[in-house]
Amino acid sequence: MPTLLAPGGSREMAIVAIDEGADVIYVGPLGWSRRPAESEMDDDDIKSVIDYARDRNRQVRVVLNTFPSPFEMEGFIAKIRRYAEFGCSGFIITDPGAIAVVRRLLPQTVIHVSIGSGITNAWDARFYRDLGADMIILPYRWDESEIERVSRCADIGLEVFLFETVQTGKICPGKCIMSSYLKFRDWLPVEGKDAFFGSANRGAKECYRVCQVPWEFASGQGVAQSLKLRRDARLMLEQLPRMVALGVECFKLSGRERPVPMIRDLVRFYRKVLDGIIDKSALDMSVYAGEAALLGARWKIEKNKRVDSLIDRAVPHEAEPMRWATA
Amino acid sequence: MFELSTDVTSPKILRRGDYSAYDALYLGDFSCPDTLDNFSSHPEYLVEGVEAVKLQGKKCYLRLHAVPSNHELGSVRTIIETAMRLPFDAFEVHNLGLLKMLREIGCNKPIHLGVFGNLYTDATARVVKDYGVTRVYPNPELSLKEAIYIRDQTPIQVLMPVHGKIPLVISETCFILEHSDRRPDTGCGYLCTREHWLTRRAAGGWSLKDTGRMTLSGSDLCMLEHVDKLVEAKFDAFYVQSHGESGEYVATVGRVYRDALTKAFAGAPAEDLADALREVGAFAKMGLCNGYYFESAGRRYVGRA
Repeated sequence: MPTLLAPGGSREMAIVAIDEGADVIYVGPLGWSRRPAESEMDDDDIKSVIDYARDRNRQVRVVLNTFPSPFEMEGFIAKIRRYAEFGCSGFIITDPGAIAVVRRLLPQTVIHVSIGSGITNAWDARFYRDLGADMIILPYRWDESEIERVSRCADIGLEVFLFETVQTGKICPGKCIMSSYLKFRDWLPVEGKDAFFGSANRGAKECYRVCQVPWEFASGQGVAQSLKLRRDARLMLEQLPRMVALGVECFKLSGRERPVPMIRDLVRFYRKVLDGIIDKSALDMSVYAGEAALLGARWKIEKNKRVDSLIDRAVPHEAEPMRWATA
Repeated sequence: MFELSTDVTSPKILRRGDYSAYDALYLGDFSCPDTLDNFSSHPEYLVEGVEAVKLQGKKCYLRLHAVPSNHELGSVRTIIETAMRLPFDAFEVHNLGLLKMLREIGCNKPIHLGVFGNLYTDATARVVKDYGVTRVYPNPELSLKEAIYIRDQTPIQVLMPVHGKIPLVISETCFILEHSDRRPDTGCGYLCTREHWLTRRAAGGWSLKDTGRMTLSGSDLCMLEHVDKLVEAKFDAFYVQSHGESGEYVATVGRVYRDALTKAFAGAPAEDLADALREVGAFAKMGLCNGYYFESAGRRYVGRA
């Protein structure tokens, strides 16, 4: 039975998502889940969400999907142990070594391989299966034939983001350090870390989404084009029945940083759509097209607001003279 | 005492280049299988390539595609099987699926983990070591302290990039082709043989170099002023990233670092590097940087002081 995995960017969001029908909620501890502090939770709130979910027969995954520093593995393991004691049923992790460590510590827990692992082929899935992972999130680019191929050969659960397949642009989760090349943000006291570790991939330093603002692109002295490095993804709808038929087990809604009403409406919508597919009462997705378009428009507005606020934080940077520049 | 290496994409570049400063060469462009005459995509070039490198008395490593899609796995496997019969000294692997493939087909050579292998922790180094990896290229975001820690705790050899643009992004499609006016059915036309730059003046002059499937730092990593620190930390494998650079760049940068490393390993006192910096800096259109080694945003230059 496919499950709906929904974001808990705050305690309020997590509870709303559970009440609207999400099967599983994911939450990120401060400093460990590649989001700014306002979209992560402290441990008291995480425990509270786990308790709330358990009372309603739902599950919680804790996201520890930074690439930790080798110096903070002890802290990483302490966090894992703590959330397991709270009753969390699984984790979303990126670092291969960390996945292996968690599997040894907790043989029964559910481990999702985070999108930051940058899977590109079916052999990657087999590698993560060997490490002890239970679920991989599939690349945005994969079409149905590729999903079918991996489901045949990898013996691992399949998870997809509720976004349509995108084929162009720089789509490279886990394979991008542009943001930290250009600018760092210091840790905030609330994030609970005082060490320097740098970038979105590593926790406290959010990704500034520099790929989503206009750049000038030119060859030599040619005329520059103004363009973004990737285009906006659209919410998934038409592909859903086929994904379920192919054996996708988990449908993930992103958006820990979105407003709570937006997540409430999206969970309500996808709960209805998935239930109709599962019980075969509504397999024609066109009946939802209007509703999906409205949600998609709201999604885009909220996303653009966030990109604008992030890029405002990234610039202006301090002036730094270039050393030995020849241009 | 130490190894200085760089990369060579194709037979033509190998024939024309001056690699006298280097001890080892990584053959192939891991970022794009369609790069012109890419060793990583043409099994028919491998014999000529490895023989030419061996004749120069150097070690020869073969790079495998960093982000192979399902459709590309068959051709990568052909490259691997061909190379296993040749005297390559190691494979360089970025993709963990390929690492598993190498183990399953009984790879008989050492394996190096490449820059897009995303090595951040000693825990991961231990995992890949179990798959036959003997050398790792840490993610560029790691500091010197972290690289030392991983090397010692695993233990494993760490390749330290000392000069060249930093690989920042790799993707599965060609950004240059997507924004050209070529029809998709006419091939790529090797548009990446011309330099492409991404700039953002509104942000005060951000710049990045784009090679189609890979985006590199605008500034050149330069560790010339810190060679003594690298030697003191007991690193012994150094790398010049030269993808997309001229033959003159490869020869000059190699010579400058060969000289600096040789002196540092001999315990010579630090000397004035102004001329050497000016020489390598002359190639850096967007200036020099120290990457992330000193716990800073990658594009900053820290200097010796």
